[in-house]
Amino acid sequence: MNVVSMRKLYSRLQSLLFASASVIVFFILWELAASYLQSPYFPDPYSVLKAFITIITVGDIDGYTLAWHTLMSLERVLLGFAVGSATGVPIGLLLGIKPTLKNAVTPIIEPIRFIPPIAWIPLSIVLLIGMYRYVFLIWVGVFFPVLLDTIAGVKRTSITLIQMARTFGADNKNIITKIIFPSSLPEIMNGLRVGLGVGWMCIVAAEMIGGEPVGLGRLILKYANLLQIDTVIVGMITIGLVGLAMNYFILFLEKRMFRWRVEIRA
Amino acid sequence: MDKAILLESVSKKYDVGSSSLKVIEDLTFDVNKNEFVCVVGPSGCGKTTLLRIVAGLEPPSSGRVLVFGRPPDPKIQRFGVIFQEDSLLPWRTVLGNVEFGLEIQNYQEAERERVAKTFLELVGLQGFENYYPHQISGGMKKRVAIARALAIDPDLILMDEPFADLDAQTRSLMQRELLKIWSKLNKSVLFITHNVEEAVFLAQRVVVLTKRPSRVKQIIDIDLPYPRARLSPPFISYRERILTAFHEELEGI
Repeated sequence: MNVVSMRKLYSRLQSLLFASASVIVFFILWELAASYLQSPYFPDPYSVLKAFITIITVGDIDGYTLAWHTLMSLERVLLGFAVGSATGVPIGLLLGIKPTLKNAVTPIIEPIRFIPPIAWIPLSIVLLIGMYRYVFLIWVGVFFPVLLDTIAGVKRTSITLIQMARTFGADNKNIITKIIFPSSLPEIMNGLRVGLGVGWMCIVAAEMIGGEPVGLGRLILKYANLLQIDTVIVGMITIGLVGLAMNYFILFLEKRMFRWRVEIRA
Repeated sequence: MDKAILLESVSKKYDVGSSSLKVIEDLTFDVNKNEFVCVVGPSGCGKTTLLRIVAGLEPPSSGRVLVFGRPPDPKIQRFGVIFQEDSLLPWRTVLGNVEFGLEIQNYQEAERERVAKTFLELVGLQGFENYYPHQISGGMKKRVAIARALAIDPDLILMDEPFADLDAQTRSLMQRELLKIWSKLNKSVLFITHNVEEAVFLAQRVVVLTKRPSRVKQIIDIDLPYPRARLSPPFISYRERILTAFHEELEGI
């Protein structure tokens, strides 16, 4: 083993050490806060761990285990994410290519994107049923990041590359598929990653109105009504960890896909 | 025989707000088949606009442009254009970049790869097929761009100050290689530059443009055999002649 890789290993060990130290400190502070407050509504880490194990092995009051809750939520979010990407990317490409159209719809899009998903709940209750409610609320979270990053990606496309393609006789279809789309792909992927994260964060809002008794958001709401905060925290932690895992998964994909990017080389 | 390029009193003006900017005015010259012609002129004189007009990327405001007897159209004719700026697709490998033009021209996949490899070899880049543009030098990028332009078997090669960004050694190497390739392939070349020495080294004919709006100031035949020695007395005298014409224009600015 040479000096460079030794040094690399050392710095990796060091950052691992710091990371675990901060996790340990967090749990100690939590424990201290819990024993100081002595409140039934502020559980200590140990009771949350117990609730975790119960939900994983036995399931909740309706018998649904944590894996089942997670899977159902994932299914809903991925469905909303699929619809959000399938609308955000093409519309973003179109608006990026046609600035006049983009200017025309900006006064509509800009205010709408600041309306939080929760504000859409009453309308979706009145207008939608079943799976459509979930999908719509998650779509609200996914669509805008995807749309805006796709537009930004199109705008970043080099004019020289487009002209180069024209000199070879490329038509508009070629220019979109062979130049604009691949050139915007890093921004599009970034938008998809952010969109998936935001969509995942909409899961509690979506499951508030979904009606079905299963899903991580539902788990939180159910146990909030029972005032059993330890299980509520189990739901919160699971949402956080799954979101983190999805984010890293897309980052990993990005790294593999964009080896050609100078920025990613390092 | 059809001229490769025929420009007859070509003018180009752009509307800038209410006024209009004349970039090219009453420009007339031609390029014969298989001829190597350099256009030199002061910077900002509309050389790039001229190239864009010849490549059919934009129409002239008035006058006539014919490439092999017809108005230029890259969808019908084959142009090999080499830009000053880096024009490689950063997400494609060297091989993928050379295949790009062939893809647009609807070559079959197997044929694409075969042709692309042949031209990579011609520009001396065999073994670099799977590199990405960010992994190779500026001179190598230019070679890839040249291979890409040549691979579609263009009727006409248009070069817009292709070597301007390269260091002196690489530039003179690329000039020699370009001449080698040109003598091998017999193509008509319109090469735009602001470097007088480069023009004398490369061209059979040099067209000196005036400052904006561009007109032809002088056309000089370079009657020297290839390869040319940059320090030979006739080379220097051609260079001085063109520089004199060129400097008259610069001083006028």
